[in-house]
Amino acid sequence: MSKRDASAGQDVLRRVGESSVLILISLADGPKHGYALIQDIKELAGVELGPGTLYGALDRLERLGLIEPLPSDDRRHPYRITVPGAAALRVHLDALERVSAAGRLRLQLGGI
Amino acid sequence: MDDARATWLVETALRCYPARWRRRHGQEAGELAALLIKDGTPAASIALSYLAGAARERLTPRPGPRLTAAACALLVVACSVGASAGLLASAAPARAASASQARAHAHARCQPSSAGPVPGVAPAMSRPQLIIWEAGHGRSC
Repeated sequence: MSKRDASAGQDVLRRVGESSVLILISLADGPKHGYALIQDIKELAGVELGPGTLYGALDRLERLGLIEPLPSDDRRHPYRITVPGAAALRVHLDALERVSAAGRLRLQLGGI
Repeated sequence: MDDARATWLVETALRCYPARWRRRHGQEAGELAALLIKDGTPAASIALSYLAGAARERLTPRPGPRLTAAACALLVVACSVGASAGLLASAAPARAASASQARAHAHARCQPSSAGPVPGVAPAMSRPQLIIWEAGHGRSC
């Protein structure tokens, strides 16, 4: 995944899964380590990420170049969102917003 | 569940990860589990989550030079097998058709000129190009 993919409007987060998207959203306001991510996501979305799921998603996002680990003296490694990661998140959220708006409109038209 | 048993359970689950993963995340994952247990998360559910993660980690293929080379080799072999099979499949009916054409040609030489289909060459006549060939031949004879 390159910066170009996200800036070209491709929704690269469509197939990475909900947990990866939630991690990116959580990292959008600053770097966090594993425990802080789990707590933040629980507060933010009411989703309790298992630690196994968390590390799998972190590895996947790092491989895609969407996040990067920060150097740390501690055992805990904080992660931060990269520039391509932020661009990919923006594209994905825009896509979600479009789908959400269409869904609401259809509900209204359907009178449900 | 007491602390020692919870720790043992989580450590056992963490040992299921590949060594590469344990070197990278092992200590941090142990510490994270301890914090979650302190918060009230059951050790069994943490261990289960790590076990599922370990299974995913072992089952997900990592793209690397060796894997890419193997994939390329497999692709080349598959393509050559497919091409050979295709050639064989197309050659068999053609051979059968040319044999029946030869038979039909010998038979047509002794028949009066006709543009109609020659009896006994039904398999070859099902191909359009053969119908044209037969018709032309019939006229010239």
